[in-house]
Amino acid sequence: MPELPQAFASTPATRQLESAPRASFEDLFASVITTAFGVALRYTRNQADAEDMVQEAALLAYRAFDSFESGTNFRAWFLKILTNCYFSKRRREKSRPVTSDLDDTPDLYIYARSGEAGFPTQGPDPAATLLDKLGTERIVKAINLLPEEYRVVCTLYFLEDLSYEDIASVLKCPVGTVRSRLHRGRRMLQKSLWQVAVEDGIVGSSPHEAAQ
Amino acid sequence: MTKLDRSNCEEAFRRLDDFLDRRLSPDEMRLIEKHLEVCAWCAREFNFEASVLDGLKRRLKQVDAPADLLSKILSRLPRREGHD
Repeated sequence: MPELPQAFASTPATRQLESAPRASFEDLFASVITTAFGVALRYTRNQADAEDMVQEAALLAYRAFDSFESGTNFRAWFLKILTNCYFSKRRREKSRPVTSDLDDTPDLYIYARSGEAGFPTQGPDPAATLLDKLGTERIVKAINLLPEEYRVVCTLYFLEDLSYEDIASVLKCPVGTVRSRLHRGRRMLQKSLWQVAVEDGIVGSSPHEAAQ
Repeated sequence: MTKLDRSNCEEAFRRLDDFLDRRLSPDEMRLIEKHLEVCAWCAREFNFEASVLDGLKRRLKQVDAPADLLSKILSRLPRREGHD
């Protein structure tokens, strides 16, 4: 099991570890900006807000860079700062709780419906036909429909392929919480994807309407 | 399907997510793999779920940051002592 990143505490003890030669903040930031922007875009759902959030996180990270332990996971460290920015923004906006009809998603949701709608359910990459028809934009739309705690975990998992441990570190929650939210979030995402596919006419709204 | 078969399928299915994320112990991974070798039904379901997960990961990684974002952000960072 991978070790938890240890780079996040801005303590004097952490700073003392910074004796080895290190990459500049600018170089490290340049290496993660695509990741950061992609995650921010999924969090905020808006390009201008995503740019502002990456800017805010970059400034915070730059100021805290002395606390970053050279040689550890800069990407996870930066995503933690970015995620904190997002949650701070959400707190400022006093967001209302989101109710969702995705809670009761049964297992194998897309598998079952794909079979009914005439999409492949077997072969080397059976979901590819449906996902190709959906396309990235609609997949993003489906993720955006998830309740926030699931959307955030799924964003970190799907976009960045972060380990459970790294996600737990970014979100400051137990690994078990990441696991349960991720497993549940993936089920909800399947229903959400199918809803988007129905709304956009990619699949029929009833099992009898086969895929075009 | 015998009762024993169904029990194996249920046990395997309960571990679906952890199996796909390779979060099981090596022994458990092997047990599931063995079950998938003999149970075409479960193999089909596991294969489909893996295809969904991998497909989503591949498609969701296609986000580019605006070309000027890096330079814009770096130009707004305060200068540090000892850094140009």
